[in-house]
Amino acid sequence: MKSYDTTIARRGAGLAGKKEKTSRRRMSRQTRENIFGYLFISPWIIGFLGLTFGPLLFSLFASFTDYNITSRMNFIGLDNFKRMFTIDDLFKTSLWNTLYYVLFSVPLTTAGAIFLSVLLNQKVRGMKFFRTLYYLPAILSGVAVYFLWMQLLSPSTGLVNTFLAWIGIEGPAWLFDPEWTKPALILMKMWSVGGGMLLYLASLQGVSASLYEAADLDGAGVMKKFFYITLPMISPIIFFDVLTSTIGAFQIFQEAYVMTENGSGGPGNSLLFYNLHMWNNAFEVFDMGYASAMAWLLFIVVMVLTIINMKLGKKWVHYEGGG
Amino acid sequence: MKKGLIFIISAILLIGTLAGCSGGESVQAEKTKDGKVIVDFWSFWGSETRRPIIEKIIEDFNNSQDEVFVKHTYLPWGDIWTKNLASVAAGNPADVIINDINSVAQRAENAQSEDLSKYIDESFKDQFYPHLWETVMYGDKPYAVPFNTDTRLLFYNKDAFKEAGLDPEKPPATWAELEEYAAKLDIKDGDRYERVGFYPLWGSIGAASWMTSADGGKGFIQDGELYINTPKKQEALRWLLGWKERLGEKTVQSFEAEFGSEQSNPFIAGKVAMWVDIGTFYTQIRDYGEDMNFGVAPIPAYEKGSGNWSDGGGFVAEIPKGAKHPEEAMKFIKYLTGQEAQKYWAMKNYDNVANKEAAEAVVNDLKGDDKYVYEASVKNLDQTQLFPVPVKYPDYQSRINPHIDSVLLGKTKPEKGLAEAEKDVEKLKRK
Repeated sequence: MKSYDTTIARRGAGLAGKKEKTSRRRMSRQTRENIFGYLFISPWIIGFLGLTFGPLLFSLFASFTDYNITSRMNFIGLDNFKRMFTIDDLFKTSLWNTLYYVLFSVPLTTAGAIFLSVLLNQKVRGMKFFRTLYYLPAILSGVAVYFLWMQLLSPSTGLVNTFLAWIGIEGPAWLFDPEWTKPALILMKMWSVGGGMLLYLASLQGVSASLYEAADLDGAGVMKKFFYITLPMISPIIFFDVLTSTIGAFQIFQEAYVMTENGSGGPGNSLLFYNLHMWNNAFEVFDMGYASAMAWLLFIVVMVLTIINMKLGKKWVHYEGGG
Repeated sequence: MKKGLIFIISAILLIGTLAGCSGGESVQAEKTKDGKVIVDFWSFWGSETRRPIIEKIIEDFNNSQDEVFVKHTYLPWGDIWTKNLASVAAGNPADVIINDINSVAQRAENAQSEDLSKYIDESFKDQFYPHLWETVMYGDKPYAVPFNTDTRLLFYNKDAFKEAGLDPEKPPATWAELEEYAAKLDIKDGDRYERVGFYPLWGSIGAASWMTSADGGKGFIQDGELYINTPKKQEALRWLLGWKERLGEKTVQSFEAEFGSEQSNPFIAGKVAMWVDIGTFYTQIRDYGEDMNFGVAPIPAYEKGSGNWSDGGGFVAEIPKGAKHPEEAMKFIKYLTGQEAQKYWAMKNYDNVANKEAAEAVVNDLKGDDKYVYEASVKNLDQTQLFPVPVKYPDYQSRINPHIDSVLLGKTKPEKGLAEAEKDVEKLKRK
């Protein structure tokens, strides 16, 4: 603070005639502020440049080479990208598996989270207990959960099929049948919608009661209130959730790596997701150049989808205050 | 303003880089206080049983040395490989690492490990089983030294044999006998199986092993040639499908689900009468089997005289490319794969080791069932093959397995599945 004051004082003193110096002084003050600013955020800048942006550029370069991490890095032009579409059959399989997963898991988990949050937004006794109960799966995570689900989904002794048997349905072999592996994973994801639910719950509580009161006066029913007030009012959160969970769903990896034998993406490659295929290329056969190219292609796919989402978002997302 | 920004960023980056470099150098001390060269040894043996054993071996070595001191670094399974890769790329790797035996050539091809030929002489290899030594060779040079291995055997329940009127001293020797015995050993209660005689895809064996065995021991890729869609391999798949048909999908699945949890082994629990597994499986029978009356035999041959083929894996000790002290590292590797350390490892872990004399010494020292199974496993090494990752087709398994899955699920015919598998693998060939 002190130095700031003296600068002003000096500037006042120097006003008479010394225009040049003044402007330089002002510049240097600005520069100094900038220096401090950048110093404060420098841990992030270093981290970003060194650990994110640098490797990002490197992988972009590597995607045009036959880089194998340890001994080779020859420029091969677009060969890696050609290989994806001509030689590597598993590329298509993995992309299809991932798209399937994104297409079903994102809408289902979003709808599930909204549904759950609306239920948990009711004024019922013991609501805190239910909220905790439904949120719990979201804090359990990782490998333990996958193992738990492998047991739940076990074809003849698992709880899921036992339950289905009670209501007279013969459950599928889930993780052992290529046609049921992806639905099994999506089911598992539905179980842990708690994180999204919490976001919706918070935004539901921010919806002004006066809107509902006005609707009541106009004679709107429950459904009308939900579709014409609730949904539009929480649409920014829905938009955010859909956007981030789409990006997240494209990156599915752990589930398949843990829940399939030897992380192979089996049975019949039905759980060979894009990132798993990429990982296998990078670390099992040391085709880091090819894996980098795959990563960039995924980046482009996700980027395009995000831009489309943003454009579409303008049509249905309602920001209060005309934002 | 822009200049200032650039200046600051470059200054920070410069400082960061300098700090990073100097940090890297000083972190790893090259020598102990009394002047011994430190050899950094990476392994994934961190369990309660294995860690003390390897650390005792290291301690014995350190006590015998004036110039070298081995420091053990435990890294979890899986992490150890990626970390090794990154450290080789960064030029700061461990001095010795335990790695997978089947990918030695693949790592050598990618310059991830050191050529060891200058540290060892011609006779060095004679200590080891030839099928193991073969896998460490790449372009006529050794890139690793075999440490341990395994082999698959048929375990059978002698009491169940007696019960079914079979001679407990005469285990099945061919596929046909296997089928015949299995049928006799089945116990059914209506549609439900109380005991299954045998199922070829349970235990520590897969479709590929049976296919290889039918094909006279020929794997999918041999000497750079593809042998995927062969008549014998098609036949093996049909044979496997026959087993599934006999038991029914339901029985197979419900049994698998029950023992998928690994809490109780179905062979030890008496629910399956014959079981293929590695030699070390015996320790489970010993510890949990309550004096189970069992026998071991080689895996039955496709037909008389076609060979009781078995397959194995294992681990090697190697020097990552760019290691700072290769000579000292090699001293330790020689000790690690020498008779004394190998014998200690084999006795304590009940594991098959790569050193021939050590393995034979262990057979002599063991008694009772310990000796019986160990001897059988050592003998079985003669018929055991390894299938190293072929340098030209490193990712062939990911192309074959889905087709085999699809055949075994009854979705594709064996001949069609294998034809497609062979076509997919052909496409992968590297120059």
